[in-house]
Amino acid sequence: MKVLMPQLGETVNEGTIDTWHKKAGDEVTKDEILLDVETEKVAVEIPVPVSGILTRILVEAGETVDVGTVLAEISGPDDSPEDESDQQSPETASDVTQTETVAAQPAAAPAGKDGERLSPAVRRLIAEHDLDGSLIQGTGRNGRLTRRDVLSYLESRPADARVVESATDAKDERLPFNRIRRATAAHMVRSKSTSPHVLQTIEADFSAVDRLRLQKRNSWKEEHGFSLTYLPFVARAVCQAIGEFPRINASVDGDNLVVHSAINLAFAVDLNFEGLVAPVVRDAQELKVSAMAHRINDLVKLARNNKLSADDLSGGTYTLSNPGPFGTFFTAPIINQPQVAILSIDAIAKRPVVVEGPEGDSIGIRPVGVLAQSFDHRAFDGAYSAAFLNRLKSLLERQDWTLEF
Amino acid sequence: MNDKIQNLKQDTRLKLYRSMLECRQMEQRAYDLFMQNLVKGTSHLGLGQEAIAAGFGVAMRADDYTFCTYRGHNHTLVRGVSMTGILGELMGRDCGLMRGKGGSMHLTSVEHGVMGSYAIIGAHLPIAAGAAWSAQYRGTEQVAVCFFGDGTTNIGAFHEALNFSVVWSLPVVFVCENNLYMEYTPIGDVTAVANPAADRAAAYGLESILIDGNDVDVVYATACKALERARKGEGPSLIEALTYRHHGHSRADPGKYRPDEEVAMWKEQRDPISNYRARLLELGIAEADLVAIETETDELVDRATEEASNSPPPPVEIAMTDVWADGSSSWRN
Amino acid sequence: MAQLSYREAVAAGIAQELRRDSNVVFIGEDIASAGGVFKATVGLLEEFGPKRVRDCPISEQAIIGAAMGAAMTGLRPIAEIMFSDFLAVCWDIIANQIAKTRYMTNGQFSMPLVIRTANGAGSRFGAQHSQSVENWAMAIPGLKVVAPSTPADVKGLLAAAVRDPDPVLFFEQKSLYGTKGEVPEGDHVVPLGKAKVLRQGDDVTIVALAAMVPRAVKAAETLHSEHGISATVIDVRSLVPLDTTTIFESVSATGRLVTVEENPRLCGWGAELSSLVAEELFWDLEGPIVRVTTPHIPLPAADSMEDAVLPSVERIVDSVRRLAD
Repeated sequence: MKVLMPQLGETVNEGTIDTWHKKAGDEVTKDEILLDVETEKVAVEIPVPVSGILTRILVEAGETVDVGTVLAEISGPDDSPEDESDQQSPETASDVTQTETVAAQPAAAPAGKDGERLSPAVRRLIAEHDLDGSLIQGTGRNGRLTRRDVLSYLESRPADARVVESATDAKDERLPFNRIRRATAAHMVRSKSTSPHVLQTIEADFSAVDRLRLQKRNSWKEEHGFSLTYLPFVARAVCQAIGEFPRINASVDGDNLVVHSAINLAFAVDLNFEGLVAPVVRDAQELKVSAMAHRINDLVKLARNNKLSADDLSGGTYTLSNPGPFGTFFTAPIINQPQVAILSIDAIAKRPVVVEGPEGDSIGIRPVGVLAQSFDHRAFDGAYSAAFLNRLKSLLERQDWTLEF
Repeated sequence: MNDKIQNLKQDTRLKLYRSMLECRQMEQRAYDLFMQNLVKGTSHLGLGQEAIAAGFGVAMRADDYTFCTYRGHNHTLVRGVSMTGILGELMGRDCGLMRGKGGSMHLTSVEHGVMGSYAIIGAHLPIAAGAAWSAQYRGTEQVAVCFFGDGTTNIGAFHEALNFSVVWSLPVVFVCENNLYMEYTPIGDVTAVANPAADRAAAYGLESILIDGNDVDVVYATACKALERARKGEGPSLIEALTYRHHGHSRADPGKYRPDEEVAMWKEQRDPISNYRARLLELGIAEADLVAIETETDELVDRATEEASNSPPPPVEIAMTDVWADGSSSWRN
Repeated sequence: MAQLSYREAVAAGIAQELRRDSNVVFIGEDIASAGGVFKATVGLLEEFGPKRVRDCPISEQAIIGAAMGAAMTGLRPIAEIMFSDFLAVCWDIIANQIAKTRYMTNGQFSMPLVIRTANGAGSRFGAQHSQSVENWAMAIPGLKVVAPSTPADVKGLLAAAVRDPDPVLFFEQKSLYGTKGEVPEGDHVVPLGKAKVLRQGDDVTIVALAAMVPRAVKAAETLHSEHGISATVIDVRSLVPLDTTTIFESVSATGRLVTVEENPRLCGWGAELSSLVAEELFWDLEGPIVRVTTPHIPLPAADSMEDAVLPSVERIVDSVRRLAD
């Protein structure tokens, strides 16, 4: 029986062996933890698929291999040659159905590119320069990437991206990117080169939200065990605003804008400065603030404990970034591909504002924050985004939040 | 011939005796070391055949060439090669003649004119012819002496080399040591003629020479004549010397394919060394002189054994040296 | 510069060495009075006399054995084996004796000898007189192996082979004997173990030997003019020592290697080169390594069949095109 690198989530193509809990020759029992695998953003425990003897370990800890690669072999008591032949080896799988492999590519990969079949030279260049191969236009047969493609891609990158190495001196510390850093880096570069980003900001008065928060402050924490922050309110308002501006919740596929019916709201979680993950609240349009707060809190806990599943991390349709607690004024976020917009919620702080009242204008003290949205100009234009932001502002400022609890 | 034998000088005779005795004692020791697993791999002993090597060894000029076979310990030793170097090579020690890179079957000492021991039957006959051609070309009057067994007379290279040497009139002496068995099969069973070398000489226009290879005086005299002929530019000789190996073909082969009476006869009645000792005493040489040689030989063998045993194994790094003349084994640039 | 045929360059190369060093001698079957069955040694007997240019009986073991014995004792013999197929007749002395004696004796001997032989197909001689056996020689530690493709290299490499202290198997390709080229006059030596880049291209490196070299060059021209593929062509010239430096430099740059070999498929020289490249240049490769060889068959005699099985210009072009993107 062969142990294969599992497909850990729909968009995951490879995994890194973190730890083997067993060694060759060990007797293993079904469902014991056999090894830990790290994928782009998640660590997963792989159980023993069948009891028997772990005869061989074929991929050592630290190595990264494609999904479907044989990691180990277990000989079980009922392990017959027939079983072996049933186990389709990865080679035959790819030989037989090259088209299937292509079809199974994530939507983001350029069409027709045989992403599984990079030549050694291209693989090396991509690894050396931390590139995302899917961002590079292949000119080889069937759109395959050639070394020349990668080299000209490197040439065409902005100069500052290329001079980093020469700017270092001997006393500098060189910190190799870990897996999550590399994935983030590749993703960000890809996003920036894929989507023409436009940043728009709007100021919102959080007095209405605050009133509810202050009112709930003590009882909420006692009842639920965590604080009620601004985030679920903004999340809720975003979902409501998307209801009126659905193209915000979309992705670009070639010449099409795919407008998603469900709002899968991703929100960025910092892992103590050691990386960034963006778990997803699925079908967020159905959640009121209270439920939203719970879902967010659950996912943050999983993230901090490194327990997110690959599926928790995939399928987002719009993303919230929340640097506010650090007191930032506004942040220009980078779109989480293949989405078309992202919102940064920055610090909400008391500010003097002009308050219009029946007795004329006066200066009041109000909790005010900047909401900054980056959007993909391919998807829509500034007016659409601005109208969305305006609607978001008014939802935050004017709705009756008590109805949400 | 008989005159020549009668007239041999006493010191030549003592040299011949000492030479045979050294061979005998060294090979007996090699056998003991093999049984102690100190000589590994294989070992082909010439016990009983010492007279041929000794007779030629004493007759040859210092710059003549010896080409011998895998049964070549004796032919190597008689050219003055160090016994320590030979036993060391057999034992795979750093003091070995080739530091363990050749082994028992390939003893070589160029500085003593021992141009190699060849372990593929027949190969060295044309090579000896080549060395003889070189001597002829350079006009050095060196002679190449090539020893081989009876089995070799049935391989193609034997015939090619003989024809070639005669046609080019090369200074080479081919010496067939007919010990009656190729390996395990009697040579007579597989050969068209009774005397495998001597009967074929005529095919190449050569004199048929068949001698008692266990009589060192005869061997010596025959060698002198053939060497002189070669040195004078009169061409090659083919000598068949009858002899017998006291042991089996190789290693610990007990040689059971041979009749007991035959073995006993050759060991007891035709042993080249005990017979020669008796002859020397008959000729009036003092036994004390012989005993002195015997004692010295025993000491020499003991000393060589000790030196070889004390030598370390060669550094394994030398396995990667001397494939090429630049000392390296590199095959790429 | 003189315009010489490949066969004239053989005689010129031998003559250059016979003139230079009185220890150089030349032997073989029908090489002296007859001037060689391929007329590659015409005029040598006349210039150097029977002592130095000497006819032998049909005794390949005697010829090669004599060359070895002479090389061990101060001469620098050149021995001819009429057809390389006949190396099988004296292979013991070449593979077991000549190749190993220096090593076995811990360096007591040098073996400065050259075995020249007519190699390869194209003459419709059938399976026993047409083989390309350079890969046999390459497989034996202790033998250097050279196969020139031009008259200039014949003279230059022969000179280097004769002056080399190690045994060299010198393969002359029969089908090239009639080809002509410029050959430098005067002392001309081409060092062993240096491949020659004949043409520079960016897309693929074609490595060829002997008679396959002109075919590879022609294929590269077609690839360029008709298919827009730019190929580097390298003449290996020397299989042992193998100039991996030059070849690797090119394969690193192009990312693709195609070998063109006249020897039969299994264990041909290109297999070794491919394995080296796969092992040491894997991360520079842009595609699979492709070997264009004669199939693994004895060679047929009829011209139509012989032409069909040898690597042709068309086959090289097709193979490169399939490999290139």
